[in-house]
Amino acid sequence: MLALAWRNAWRQRARSLAAMIAVTFVVWLGLAYFGVVAAARDGLYLNLTSSVGHIQVRTRDYRSVRDFRDALIPNAAALGRRIAAVLPQTEVAAALEVPALLAGEDRSRGMLLVGLAQSPTLRERFTARHLVKGRLPGPDEPDGIALGGGLARTLQVGIGDVVYAYAPGTEGAGASAYTVVGLLRFPEPTQDARAGVLSLPAAQELAAPGAASRFELHFPQFRRTTDDAALAPLSARLQEALGASVVVETWREAFPAVSQLEQLMRPLVMFFVGLFFVLAGLFVVNTIYLGVVERTREFGVVIALGARRGRVIRMVLAESLLLCGTGSVIGLALGLATVARLARGFSYPGLDEVMEQFGLPAVMYASIEPAEIAIILGFALATGVLAALWPARVAGRLAPVEAMRFVA
Amino acid sequence: MEPLVRVRDLTKIYRLDGQQTAALREVDLDVSPGEFAAIAGPSGSGKSTLLHLIGGLDHPTSGEVWLEGQRIDHLDHNGLAELRLRKIGFVFQAYNLIPVLTALENAAFVLELRGAPRAAREGRARRALQDLGIGDLAARRPNQLSGGEQQRVAVARALAAQPRLILADEPTANLDGATGGALIDEMKRLNREQGVTFVVATHDPRLLERVGRIVHLEDGRVISA
Repeated sequence: MLALAWRNAWRQRARSLAAMIAVTFVVWLGLAYFGVVAAARDGLYLNLTSSVGHIQVRTRDYRSVRDFRDALIPNAAALGRRIAAVLPQTEVAAALEVPALLAGEDRSRGMLLVGLAQSPTLRERFTARHLVKGRLPGPDEPDGIALGGGLARTLQVGIGDVVYAYAPGTEGAGASAYTVVGLLRFPEPTQDARAGVLSLPAAQELAAPGAASRFELHFPQFRRTTDDAALAPLSARLQEALGASVVVETWREAFPAVSQLEQLMRPLVMFFVGLFFVLAGLFVVNTIYLGVVERTREFGVVIALGARRGRVIRMVLAESLLLCGTGSVIGLALGLATVARLARGFSYPGLDEVMEQFGLPAVMYASIEPAEIAIILGFALATGVLAALWPARVAGRLAPVEAMRFVA
Repeated sequence: MEPLVRVRDLTKIYRLDGQQTAALREVDLDVSPGEFAAIAGPSGSGKSTLLHLIGGLDHPTSGEVWLEGQRIDHLDHNGLAELRLRKIGFVFQAYNLIPVLTALENAAFVLELRGAPRAAREGRARRALQDLGIGDLAARRPNQLSGGEQQRVAVARALAAQPRLILADEPTANLDGATGGALIDEMKRLNREQGVTFVVATHDPRLLERVGRIVHLEDGRVISA
């Protein structure tokens, strides 16, 4: 039956070829689309987790507190040691965020001072990603500050200039002078115009001795969203060890909007890929239906010779599945080759800044999951079956005598 | 001896555009096993219709059709398909071979529908082609065969399935004299040697001269049997 279906499928070469190419194209496009979106998803994930960590530790109810002091984790050094004891392989950063007024010689601006204590690896990565000029303040440097480029321009200050920070209502000195030692660049314009980085001890001295706003835990081995399943147990383990005074959140819990966006990507791709398959399916329906109409007489003969309705339906179905199957195999080969090429890294030339603004890295790496390949092949199979249903029904319901009299 | 085919009070009325046309009227007919019977009559007399009803290709308006003691006129689509597949061979005026299949594959097609293993069906199809003198054309497709050769392949297709009954509708109508004569010889030989029952609708005098019995139809009625 397959040989007959194959030969029948190619009786109208141009038409069958068009349908097969449509399926090939859609399978290729679907795979490439999944690959590129996975690259964007992983890029978004990498960018976000590089900036804020995979897991964060904050004070309980930090989202609802209004007072700066209520958002602080007291005795940060002790908590840092406990975190390192529970998860020793983790790269940890402690941050103290202080809302402050920063003033240069002529101008001042409300901004966010971030005191950072990072592991050497994280510090190196932060430097590579954000530092455009000068250096970062040293880990214990009391009076050095690195400013976002936008903030520095607003304050009209540069490297070597002195800026004055005022953080009233805090438990530290409340005011301090710093020398600008570096200029930073943040992709997000608001952050670029409002952020300044100094050492954690310097920030603590200014606003909250011994305290931190949050701890970030970075897991260098988790580079893709698909690695993410291992995070929840680690988070739960840490929460149990640290007790109820703090809250331990994965990045998904800490940034639910980003998590939702990430989780929405695959269903969105499936929706669009499904639409592509509907369009390809119309090609296949057209090809198979015209084939049935043109061969009405032959189907009449086949029925007259004793083919049951189910057999006739299977004959039509086989043609459709062969067309879609052949297209799928070629599309699969092309699609996987494309994803393999894009997996070595790709970028959108000239769109680096746009990418940054959307939280995406300039170079992304495509990937595809076996489940996504199965989804594409499932769509192709469904297209083959659904496209054949109507023509198969028409063929199966032919009356042999009338069908054998049919003239196309 | 019980007839292979029994037809009683068979009537077929076609309705087209609100008009009724009787193709067959109260036809009675018996065909015994091993007979070579012809249904003769002018165009429109109901020959093909009678053949279609005997072969389970269509349902009568009224009356009964029996094959090997089984009443078949009330069988459904699949029931009739199964009956045709197992018991009846067909030879059509226009050959009706499947163009994408070779002569051998066409001859084996009914056996394939029955689910016979490849070796068995090809063996029987090859023997049928050889019996009809076209064994060397097994690999050719219908468009590479003459009309006579195609009709022999059609007969081989019917024969390979070893049916109890072969119904042939104007089998020689599209063939020249010599080719038609040769095909008649082959059918007669198969009837004689293998005991296959033939019912042939024809108005070809060459064929009518050679059959054992002629059933004359006119205006859908049997006027002599």
